Amino acid sequence: MNCDSVLRLIPLYFYGEVTPEEEDQVDQHLHECAACAAELEQQRAIAGAFDQRRVSLPPLLLEECRDDLMAAIAGGAPRQVKLGKGPWTLFLEALSSTFSGSGRAWQVTAALLLFMLGYAAARYSGQGAPQIAAAPSGDMHYNVRAVNAGADGNVRLTLDETRRREITGRVEDSNIQQLLLAGSRDEDAAVRLGSVGLLKGRVEQPQVLDSLLNAVSTDINDGVRLRALDALKPMAGDARVAKTLSQVLLSDVNPAVRMQVIDLMVARRDDSMVGVLQNLMQREDNNGVRLKASKVLKDWNASIGTF
Amino acid sequence: MAQDAARATGARVSPQVDTLIRAAQRGDQDAFEQLVRTYDQSVLRLAMNLLRSPEDARDVYQEAFLRVYRNLHSFRFDCSFHTWLYRIVTNICLDQLRKRKVRKEEASVVETSDGPIDRMETYEEEAAAADPERSMWNRELKQRIESALVGLTPRERMVFELRHYQGLRLRNIGEMLGTTEEAAKNCLFRATQKMRGVLGDFV
Repeated sequence: MNCDSVLRLIPLYFYGEVTPEEEDQVDQHLHECAACAAELEQQRAIAGAFDQRRVSLPPLLLEECRDDLMAAIAGGAPRQVKLGKGPWTLFLEALSSTFSGSGRAWQVTAALLLFMLGYAAARYSGQGAPQIAAAPSGDMHYNVRAVNAGADGNVRLTLDETRRREITGRVEDSNIQQLLLAGSRDEDAAVRLGSVGLLKGRVEQPQVLDSLLNAVSTDINDGVRLRALDALKPMAGDARVAKTLSQVLLSDVNPAVRMQVIDLMVARRDDSMVGVLQNLMQREDNNGVRLKASKVLKDWNASIGTF
Repeated sequence: MAQDAARATGARVSPQVDTLIRAAQRGDQDAFEQLVRTYDQSVLRLAMNLLRSPEDARDVYQEAFLRVYRNLHSFRFDCSFHTWLYRIVTNICLDQLRKRKVRKEEASVVETSDGPIDRMETYEEEAAAADPERSMWNRELKQRIESALVGLTPRERMVFELRHYQGLRLRNIGEMLGTTEEAAKNCLFRATQKMRGVLGDFV
């Protein structure tokens, strides 16, 4: 295979899109031809540059798109959060079945009505008032977990209630911080993303540091992990942070995360970090990450491989 | 035959996704929502990377999944759902790119009193803000990259995006774009040659 043929195949070879026979021929040629090997290196460098152009999704965009879509499908109506049947729904269903002729449903209706009245009385009696100030501003949502019909005609319901509220305060406020820490573990990625972003700057506090390290190691959302990494930057020299970063570098599936970890690791240069980067070079298959790691090792006058 | 074709794409959907599709075809809204959530992040990322505008990416997302919603009943499992979905998404994105070519504009670049700025940099440069030298190098690199991308045809741009950023095989990309693997290879080759022309002396 001559240089012209190899040059034509280099982009496809780089992306693993050549046949096994072509791959062998290109390998053999590159082994013998420095000029073509340099072309492959340039291809790697260009690909690495494009890796850096990868766009992060703006926070909340995905959630907004989902909400818009579901609203459009529902005919443009504002989207409601889906919850289990609430007492009101159960009440209406019981009422409806009453008019369809079922005598026993009267009992169910009456029991539910009584339950609702009792519930409302308890709710407005002031018991169980929230610990954090600010007036409730939203709806009450219910998830019924269990329904039991007693022989005496009573119905026993077990339910979770969620009250939507708006809290306003400064991030320095310990109550707000506790909520943000809870938000950083929420099932909604947008909430986690926002919480982690707001906790940035409080990283010296042990609870916040724990939360950010947990997010970096375990969050399934790429944006949250990247945001948590950004927040950890001031503590990048800390031994515990460095240990977590090393683990993330060798295990995270997202090359953008791995690249950002390398950026942070530059803050702490020691033999263990050199070892981690050399270990990475043995297993990394993303060219951008390889390029970045090799640059750091070069800057540290360390060899790229281990011998 | 249809099953063979599906297997040949190398991207057969998992049994769970199959179940979701069938349930959604029967009108199960929850199943449809789960199906959307399985794929929508990569769809939005593709649109965002290609169009560099949250507003345009949002439009692509909405139009693509509404088309899926309206046409899901006609999905016959003769290719992977991923391929079917991406046919829709790439068509919408290509239309947008072609319109932009006609208007000769890039959505993320806006004119200000300080000259043109890339709105997307506000998302990308947070990490680099603390390092001015790196930031300057990045800016120069970005300008070169944007010049290189502007020189690509919409189709070349799409093939490059799908191969480089989404990691899809050229065989699948050809199938999504209604062309052959060989044509996708040629497209990728032309795209990389153009990029080398612009970036070759910088990287």
